[in-house]
Amino acid sequence: MAQESLDGWFDEGEESASRGERDALDRSSEPSDGTAEASTASSSHEFPERCLSFTVRGPWGHFRRVEGNVVKQTYRVIPRTTVAGLLAAVLGIGRDDYYELFAEGASAVAIEPVSELRTLNMPMNALSTAKSDLTSLNGRGKVSVRLPNPAKLRQQHNYEVLVDPAYRVDVALADDERYRELRETLDAGKSHYVPSLGLSEHLAEIDYHGEYAVEDGSSEGVVDVDSAVPNAVDSVVPDPGTRCQVEESPAFMETDAGGRTTTAFTAYTYNPDAGPLAVRDVETSLVDGRTVVFV
Amino acid sequence: MLSPEEFEEAYDADELREELPASPVASLRDLQYLYGTLYTLATAGGGEYASYLTPDAAGDLVDTADSLVVVRVDLSGDDPRLADDETGPVEVTRYSDDLVEKVAHCKYPAARGIDHSVTHQAGRNSDPEKLARYANERLTKWATDDVVQETAEEHENGWVVDALAALGESEDALDEIEDGVERELGGESATALLTVRVKTDPAGDYRWPGEVDVFQAAMRARKLSKLVTKNKADDSSGDAVDLVTGQSARTVGTAEDPQNYFLGKQLEKFPGLDIEEAWRTHPISEDAAVTVMNAGAFVEACAYRTFGAKVYALPYFFGTVNPERAQSLYRILYAAATADDESRITAIERAYQYREECSFDENRLRFYVSAVLPHQTSRYDVVGETLNARLLYPAVVANAHSRILETAAFRDGDDATAALPTANWTLLSGDGATELLGPVTSGWYFAETFPRGDDDTDASADDPRIEALVDVLSGTSIPVSFLLDAYVDRIEADASDDDVEGFPVFRVASQYAQLCALADAGDGFLTGEGAKRPITEPPTYETRTMGSRDEITIPDGGFAGEQKLADFIDDTPALANDQRCGVFLLGALVGAVGNYQEWHEDRSTTLVDQFPVKSITANRVKKVTQDAIEKTLTYTRQEKKRGGQTYPGTKFDHIVDRLRERVINPDPDEWDLEKNDLRFYYALGVTYGMNDRSLYESDDTDDANADPEEN
Repeated sequence: MAQESLDGWFDEGEESASRGERDALDRSSEPSDGTAEASTASSSHEFPERCLSFTVRGPWGHFRRVEGNVVKQTYRVIPRTTVAGLLAAVLGIGRDDYYELFAEGASAVAIEPVSELRTLNMPMNALSTAKSDLTSLNGRGKVSVRLPNPAKLRQQHNYEVLVDPAYRVDVALADDERYRELRETLDAGKSHYVPSLGLSEHLAEIDYHGEYAVEDGSSEGVVDVDSAVPNAVDSVVPDPGTRCQVEESPAFMETDAGGRTTTAFTAYTYNPDAGPLAVRDVETSLVDGRTVVFV
Repeated sequence: MLSPEEFEEAYDADELREELPASPVASLRDLQYLYGTLYTLATAGGGEYASYLTPDAAGDLVDTADSLVVVRVDLSGDDPRLADDETGPVEVTRYSDDLVEKVAHCKYPAARGIDHSVTHQAGRNSDPEKLARYANERLTKWATDDVVQETAEEHENGWVVDALAALGESEDALDEIEDGVERELGGESATALLTVRVKTDPAGDYRWPGEVDVFQAAMRARKLSKLVTKNKADDSSGDAVDLVTGQSARTVGTAEDPQNYFLGKQLEKFPGLDIEEAWRTHPISEDAAVTVMNAGAFVEACAYRTFGAKVYALPYFFGTVNPERAQSLYRILYAAATADDESRITAIERAYQYREECSFDENRLRFYVSAVLPHQTSRYDVVGETLNARLLYPAVVANAHSRILETAAFRDGDDATAALPTANWTLLSGDGATELLGPVTSGWYFAETFPRGDDDTDASADDPRIEALVDVLSGTSIPVSFLLDAYVDRIEADASDDDVEGFPVFRVASQYAQLCALADAGDGFLTGEGAKRPITEPPTYETRTMGSRDEITIPDGGFAGEQKLADFIDDTPALANDQRCGVFLLGALVGAVGNYQEWHEDRSTTLVDQFPVKSITANRVKKVTQDAIEKTLTYTRQEKKRGGQTYPGTKFDHIVDRLRERVINPDPDEWDLEKNDLRFYYALGVTYGMNDRSLYESDDTDDANADPEEN
């Protein structure tokens, strides 16, 4: 129902004032271009006007925190970069090819944990990846793979994994073509690659809720926000009865000659019990009757 | 290190604001950066090079004899030469407090290699020959080091370094230094720092390394070079956004982190974690990396060990740290860093002690808590972690626990014992947050009630004790079934433990006190669904404030045991469940009869031994009930025969009557209570039964109906 009513609005959107900006964005999404202009060009207050909304869930999830690799701790809130990767998987875009699409100003994402964020330790056996323990397969061929030696003893490491994680994600893209494609793919319940939550073995399920208008929420005084609140740690109104936690995760990436680098981090404040958080003077949006904050 | 008062005096609010991170603490690195900043301010002071120095590395040398060996070089003439004034080329002196900053020591934390600074720390009690060699190396090794040379090339005063290196090529000069060192030390060994002073202006003084910028710049460059080459990387660096400050910077990939969470060479199952590219996955700017490394002293000061795991409890304030909170935080960290090793106080307790003195907002005080198990040297597995632990959580649990110990469940009434026994056990006698906060935060709280690890003391990766500890510290709710499983495991383990004699009544009582405390400590410490939900509700036992039994007035009439049992059941929400109440009553009867058998019948094997906790299943409830009731009839008959006593009914009929009602309806064959739920409440019943006696009989009796033979 929501979709029908928004279809007309969608076309209007193309004619709207932000059209020019979006065109600029599209042009700037050539690989050689930096994202700097993109982010300034479209920091318009109007953006976004509509978004796609879905819930992604799975029995397990693991989003490795950047401050560890020997230890494998997970973020509690799915990082924005992971959401981008997940949607790129749905659309069938390759690694290192989708960062422009989800760049600052070219996209908006709100993330709401919808089930209690719980973790447990899962010890896993892993093979050594020290150089001496790797063997090259097809070493001189065009495609060469280096594999760990399966005859070696395993090492056991703990993975901190999320148990039954579920997030409601609202996403808007400035790239209309991709946006439409994403809407169709989600609506059809399809996905190009298998969606997963962090690691490939943690398969994910996506429930598409539809397309919704993004209305301005209240930005004055104390507001209960349903989503995780990005970059506003100091605006949270402490309440002894509500658990409130914070974590900083990568938000945006860009491709460079050697691979990819993170261009910005976001500190999410969230309620691990999947309830709302009271914040003061934060710009909020209304989507499907929920108060969310996009980044 | 500056005392909190000196710290406050040294940095006013504006100065502090300038130095403190501008963004809130939202990750472990942010926290370490904050600690590193405070540590640097408190030790090396502010300034460009402060965070690179290690003023505490040689802290134990301060003010000891012969602790500083200085090579004096005169560079004011045409050619570099050693000093030929009164003091001579080598001076051996005391490394005093006022020299710390001037000597500008930057230690390289490794067994081999020279320190980053021109100042070098020799090993303990080095002999004069060795010290002489180290003294020479200031010229021959440090000054010629690649990184130092590179810095010299670019620095306007690079010639100073070159001159030192040139002097180091002169055999005569080196011999002269050697002779000087040996002469000044008089052949004795010493523990010392070795450094260089240079005179560059004919009219000027000999200057210390801390006063010569090129020395400092070279030191900085040497330290930074290690951030990109550790673990065989050639140059793991690149331009990216610093994960601490959020600013673009040259980031480095192989920086150390005080907790060793990130090491450069882990490929493992994250493809792309190539050591040369480590700066991409973990981008940290050079300055931030060095500051993070400086957090080490404070981080370690806030760590403690509990059953083989190392637990870090690092305090911080939620949100962006302001000068006032930074001062409060520094107070806590300073106390931790300077505490006596024996004090064994956790950072959380320390913060609790300071909460009034510092008058900080307890709502905002948080702790990064992580429990790590050593895996290899300096490699850990993290087995429990949260950035969001709060002082509030363990404190309310400690208070709730203390409160429950003051109720009818644990305090004797006017004429009958308390429902459960108490003893001089921490969990049965602790008083308030002051006494119980330590056990709660250190993990002892669950070590007392949970099963011990596989190898008896050390925790394992999925140790329930650690899980529960981290849950309580972070306010995460614990499923009731998780607790009951752990409790029953421990009760059963105690039963087969040779060191535990008889039924572990104090253990069960401790567990029950804990269960009640968690249920009572605010919302959400316990979760349970279906039949377990009532267990999460706080009991409503009457609070008793009386002191000792001597003050008790003797009541008249009535049977105290009857009323006590009725109250206990009524006031325990968990016992509203018929099955649970039934098995509790069965336990109480077995405990009461067992106690009677032991003290009056002198039986070595009692009902309690006959029906151990691990034998209890829904299927056996009927059989055990029959046996226990049968015994009450036997003993009633025997007593009547022996003493001709008149009874209104049978022994323990206050339990038996209730038990009959509960066990019949529904029939135990149809019970659906989970096994450990059943077993824990049976154990609780046994504990209740064994403790159930009148206060006016001698302690040897267990019941209002005393043994006639003793009368």
